[in-house]
Amino acid sequence: MSQPDWDVIVIGGGVVGCAIVRRFALGGAKTLLLERGSDILSGASKANSAILHTGFDAPPGSIEVKCMQAGYEEYLKIHQRFNLPILRTGALVVAWNEEQLNALPGIVAQAHQNGVTDVEIITQSALRAREPELSPEALGAALVPGEMVIDPWSSPLAYLTQGKLAGAEARFFSEVIGGKFDGNGWDLQTNNGRISGKVVINCTGNQGDIVEKICQQPDFEIRPRKGQFLVYDKSAAGLINGIILPVPSNITKGVVLTKTIFGNLLLGPTAEEQENRDEARVSEEKLVELIETGTKMLPGLKDHGVTATYAGLRPATRFKDYQIAANGEKNWVGVNGIRSTGLTGALGIAAYVEKLCHENFENLGVRFDDSGRDVKWPHMPMLAQDQTRPYQSGDGSEIVCHCESVTKGEIERALTSDIPATSLGGLRRRTRVMMGRCNGFYCSANVAKITKGRLDIPLGRERKS
Amino acid sequence: MTDNIYCDVAIVGAGPAGIGAAVALDKAGIKDVVVFEREPRAGGIPRHIHHPTFGLLVFKRPMAGPRFIEKILARCQDVRFEFETSVMGIKPDGVLEIVGPEGIKTVRARHIILATGAREKPRHPRLVSGLRPQGIMTTGTLQKLVYGENLTPFERPVIVGSELVSFSALATLRSAGAKAVAMIEQNPRITAYRPAIGFSALMGTPIHYNSKIVDIGGKDQVEFVSLDGPKGKRRIDCDGVIFSGDFVGETALTRTSHLANDGVSQLPLVDANWVSSDENISVIGNCVHPADMGDQCYLEGLEAGAHVGEKLGETSGANKGAFISISHDTRIKMLAPGALRMKSGQSVRLDISLHVLSPFTGRIVVLQDGEVIYKEYQRCQPARRIVLRGVKFQQAGFEQESSPLPVIEVKLG
Repeated sequence: MSQPDWDVIVIGGGVVGCAIVRRFALGGAKTLLLERGSDILSGASKANSAILHTGFDAPPGSIEVKCMQAGYEEYLKIHQRFNLPILRTGALVVAWNEEQLNALPGIVAQAHQNGVTDVEIITQSALRAREPELSPEALGAALVPGEMVIDPWSSPLAYLTQGKLAGAEARFFSEVIGGKFDGNGWDLQTNNGRISGKVVINCTGNQGDIVEKICQQPDFEIRPRKGQFLVYDKSAAGLINGIILPVPSNITKGVVLTKTIFGNLLLGPTAEEQENRDEARVSEEKLVELIETGTKMLPGLKDHGVTATYAGLRPATRFKDYQIAANGEKNWVGVNGIRSTGLTGALGIAAYVEKLCHENFENLGVRFDDSGRDVKWPHMPMLAQDQTRPYQSGDGSEIVCHCESVTKGEIERALTSDIPATSLGGLRRRTRVMMGRCNGFYCSANVAKITKGRLDIPLGRERKS
Repeated sequence: MTDNIYCDVAIVGAGPAGIGAAVALDKAGIKDVVVFEREPRAGGIPRHIHHPTFGLLVFKRPMAGPRFIEKILARCQDVRFEFETSVMGIKPDGVLEIVGPEGIKTVRARHIILATGAREKPRHPRLVSGLRPQGIMTTGTLQKLVYGENLTPFERPVIVGSELVSFSALATLRSAGAKAVAMIEQNPRITAYRPAIGFSALMGTPIHYNSKIVDIGGKDQVEFVSLDGPKGKRRIDCDGVIFSGDFVGETALTRTSHLANDGVSQLPLVDANWVSSDENISVIGNCVHPADMGDQCYLEGLEAGAHVGEKLGETSGANKGAFISISHDTRIKMLAPGALRMKSGQSVRLDISLHVLSPFTGRIVVLQDGEVIYKEYQRCQPARRIVLRGVKFQQAGFEQESSPLPVIEVKLG
């Protein structure tokens, strides 16, 4: 092969892929992202609980805890430069029975072992004072002050946008179906042509083991685990002050109650094994169960409406830890098994992958550096409920979506940004339009008018006369 | 540098109920009335309904929604409307936080009338199983797309529900050159009055009774739904799903305000004059009783507006009595009024209307402090208004702080 077209090809535009593109592009590598969906976050990253974790409960010494904590640190360092919000809520790991109460000291010990030294047990009365609406059946809790809530969509978009401003390229509807390594680089076969690159990084989430086979036989298998969530109306957000986490157990999977950065209350996830890697259905039965579980913990929920339901697939493997490894002979890095902490871990994973590349591949010549004056920091749209939104600061345009207070200007900017929305889903994630309690009743027609001719799949076609 | 707007009455929502209130206040000689509306025009939902289901009560002849709106608007030409203006919050003492073309402002009014209307319950709160492809919406959304933007979102959708509005969806599809492949009703009969079946037959749309959707499939656009019904599970190929009916009040504002809400429906409580637990705020129309016809909402607006006009004319600002909420069976969707104002030692007689969630035949009982004050045998169907006429609340003494307010309850069976 002659000189490959790209230094680094990242396959998969989830949160991890976006962070890796940013890292390598800022490091001076000619970087390409290939995503088979119409937008970033089309797979596992689409559905998570939007929490920035401290890593207090991750397995000590794991790659996961290392990446989570590095990711956490870096996020706090850079979020303001991106105009990305955080909600410093803290979390409580709440015990609902004696057995869980007895497990709390172990949780605190593990947190301390992981370096999260501010985790402590609080009494039942202190718990009540912090979360007065929780059921009186809550017996006690471990307080994790460092857990916080972030914007799960704007963050990866910020990473990729910065990568793009540093010269990276993102191609959508581009599925990698095969490839050959010739000792010098990769010749990848995609659904629309061949592309060559020196190094390939596989971040394909639920497709991880399939894509890994292009390079080698993986020693893990992805077993998609479905998680269903309920988003409650903004009227419910005041029922809690922070994040309510379950005491982990091997038998029962607890669910999380958390505020969202957008001012709602989130309940979930379920944990259901399934074969299908692409389709995450919600099921009435499981949602009803989830509501029952949630209402048991937080009785006041019964008086509040549900705004949205969704389901996502987490790329679980039989291993607890992430499966990240470089093949030094074939210029390939597999970034797999990023189950549910990818949003927190992404920036740390990117740094870890860069380190693996330096250790395993010669002459890549990448040195990440985001301190330079010529580094561009895209100013992301502010979607957090507790921050000043464009309708308040006055962007000179009317409100289109009243449930989420989205202005026409915000929609226009999302359609013309560096990584523009090309689908309705992409527009919703970038602006919150149609995401509110009326599920788009009020604004759909207006959105159809504004987006006419600008989305892959329009909201409607011209009516026959 | 927040500007303030001062007025006698601020009306929120320029649908039939809000317009009715404006007409009545104008007639009562209250000059300083401002109607705040988030859309660029007055009219609300009827603007998007182009078949003749309006006007019978008010003008004694049927007409389409836009015509009806035009005619009632002509009756309040002097009233000031502020369009593209959203109300973000309500506070005690007649304060509204608004955001409009000129930014954020505070409104101070002697009285506020909320007429924010209703909408159909959309997909997500119904907890319907399946994927989330494009092409899932309510009738209201469909009508805005078809009549407002001249767009058709699908060619052969299914319609969930069989209320009057579900048949309105059939008519809307017809005028958009599309056709529903099925109507899906979970009960053994339609919710609308029986003759409506003739219309779906004419449109060639079969009705599946005792059935519900157990799956929605499709990658980008809806491709099919799965039904569970008397013949087991079956798949219907379609390209859209219309969730019709099951109206819910647009109560985002009242839920986050200081107003008292019904414990079951979470709708704001009002007395027989549509005055809420805050004597300076009335709540009228479909946001308190989702959902009645446009004519009824307009007529209610006239009455509620006239009451506010009278109140503002009074100089004394006399105490109207204690605000007593009426609790009810969870099988009752809502009561109107859901509360009453009563002075100590006074008895009150009023009509109470209610809606049930599922069919019920039997006795409806009203209790005051555990004693039956009203009972009547009724056949109730969901989405139909049942009226309990002349319920007489007995006088009770609750002047002293120590003596509690009467406990009033409506029960089925």
